[in-house]
Amino acid sequence: MTASSKEASRFFSNTKLNKAEPKVWYKLDLSAIVYPTLQRKDFSSVYRLSVLLKEPVKPDILQQAIDMTLPRFPTYKTAIRKGLFWRYLEPNHRPGPFVQKDIRNFCMPMPFKANNRYLLRFYYYDCRISLEAHHSLGDGTGCMHVLNTITAVYLRLLGHEISNGYYVKDIYETPDPEELEDAYMRYANAKVCPKRPDEKSYRVRGTKEPFYTFNVINGIMPVKEVMAAAASYRASITEYLNAVLLYALMQKQQNDFHLRLRPVRIAMPVNLRRFFPSKTLRNFITMVYPGIDPRLGDYTFEEIITQVHHYMRYYINEKFLRGDITTNANIQRHPLIRIVPLFLKDFVVKQFYSKVQDGHSSAGLTNMGVLKVPEDMKPFIERFDIYMGQPFSSRTNCAIISFEDTLTVNFASSIAESDVERYFFRKLVEDGISVTIESNRTH
Amino acid sequence: MSYCVNCGVKLDSSLDSCPLCHTPVINPNEPEHIKKAHPYPTEKGQVDSVRRSDVAILTIIVLLATSLSCLLLNLYVFTGIMWSLFIIGVCILLFVLLIPLIIYTKVPAYVSILFDGIALAFFLYLITFTTPGIGWFTKLALPIVVLLTILAEVFVLLLRAFPVSFISTALYVFVEIAMFCSGLELLIRHFTGSPLRLTWSAIILTVCCVIAIMLITVLCIRRLREAIRRRLHF
Repeated sequence: MTASSKEASRFFSNTKLNKAEPKVWYKLDLSAIVYPTLQRKDFSSVYRLSVLLKEPVKPDILQQAIDMTLPRFPTYKTAIRKGLFWRYLEPNHRPGPFVQKDIRNFCMPMPFKANNRYLLRFYYYDCRISLEAHHSLGDGTGCMHVLNTITAVYLRLLGHEISNGYYVKDIYETPDPEELEDAYMRYANAKVCPKRPDEKSYRVRGTKEPFYTFNVINGIMPVKEVMAAAASYRASITEYLNAVLLYALMQKQQNDFHLRLRPVRIAMPVNLRRFFPSKTLRNFITMVYPGIDPRLGDYTFEEIITQVHHYMRYYINEKFLRGDITTNANIQRHPLIRIVPLFLKDFVVKQFYSKVQDGHSSAGLTNMGVLKVPEDMKPFIERFDIYMGQPFSSRTNCAIISFEDTLTVNFASSIAESDVERYFFRKLVEDGISVTIESNRTH
Repeated sequence: MSYCVNCGVKLDSSLDSCPLCHTPVINPNEPEHIKKAHPYPTEKGQVDSVRRSDVAILTIIVLLATSLSCLLLNLYVFTGIMWSLFIIGVCILLFVLLIPLIIYTKVPAYVSILFDGIALAFFLYLITFTTPGIGWFTKLALPIVVLLTILAEVFVLLLRAFPVSFISTALYVFVEIAMFCSGLELLIRHFTGSPLRLTWSAIILTVCCVIAIMLITVLCIRRLREAIRRRLHF
């Protein structure tokens, strides 16, 4: 028996099923309630995290690493079930999830009953390990813990010494109950609920691609250059990239045929762990909507960046965010809403999301920020990628992540045109950033 | 590696044209054969199919159509005895049996077995419409179905309440066979008006008792248990 297989057998002997134990289940967290209701045949709230290693991936070792790691993350080794009033997650002891060869049109819909009911998919391609997760399990930060821990275990099985820390968890420790909690409920205690934006935003018009198409354009650039460009406008990297995306969307609206102008707004998830201490690995994000209103006049790029800078400083703080999550929590806690059967809730939420909520933003942008890994893991990793998945309606989603001196901007869209991406990257090039483009597009 | 002359971005060597503006890459200094591997796979994937609901819909439609067409045939064409009741009963029984398998998988096992028992009893009751009396149903068929249902419920309870193993499952099966055969003989004797005593079922009871005692011994002695598991594992 090899050292790795000994390690694996030791691990599995500790995780034997006991039928006499009470059945564990988890309530969906406040954000996770919405994602399953939006499920369609051609849409699931699925996102992808990838790590690009320096050596080609060995699938059998990766499978072993997944099997050893997943029990450490009980809320990720689950299946989603329907109750009478709410959905819930229950531990999934079926075989899997299994490593698959990667595909071009990734982030495909994830039917709840497929894949042995797992809401996770693992892919490998050349040097890349990819993890796709349904958003009802957790947000990017939570899932990044899963991916990094699997990568660390994979590297250990290959014989490397990798220590725990940052996003790498100890797979032999018992999960902290705080990791499994719905952290929203702990902090949703503001006395007043602030209003949400209620005006329709500009929608990117484009030729909808047929089902089974997922267009990706990656821009890879040095962090130092982006930082220098942002500093020249006295803004942070997030503010700068937000402003560039707003600028690109504004140009797209101006250049396309339009009867009247609409505000341009970006939906940006904010990681609430930065403001409210929590170790949760489930969803703990809320949305902010930085934007500009071209009906007030033409904006220069400097004006956009000033607008975004002040919006972020004004809204992204503990007080406003607490108010925002209280607004969401109050809806869920309302006794009348609680007793409405699930199918009615599904219908109303779906209608509200597609008719109102989805129209509030012109694009999505998420910034995972700087990803830190243990020092001894760094030599094996080239970079990380993050994809926001299929957009709910025809638009472009943008996700940003940086590792060491590599910043990656990943655009994912389901429309044929790449105008927004073109305006975005051209602006970066104009500001002196050297951008390398990768894509899975065939046209 | 080439740059797009239009956008100014550096293009991955696997790209034939700029994905932003579709300007083709023409670089005479970079021959075709040294192209880097594509950063994304070229194969497309399909969404995993979930056939459970399709099968459920199909099953329900087939069962409904069968019942309805037989009933109409019985009422208007082949009139006489109510033979269609047999088919309707079988369809109902099949529907109830298939509920936990393909239609609604979350039904608790106890409820599902209870429904199966009721469906079986209902099927037998439908048969009484074509037979001269109802006595055989109330005095024999119904008690047997009740006994069978209770034993099935107890079997599931035992499997859920105690740790499951091959040997313990075998023990439950043999004890239940003994109980069922004894009960069956007593019910038949009660129906026929014979004195209530065990004859043929006593043999089965004895054999099952011997096997059950042997299995209990194996369960109590760890060394024996391990040896049996090792040799009979599958």
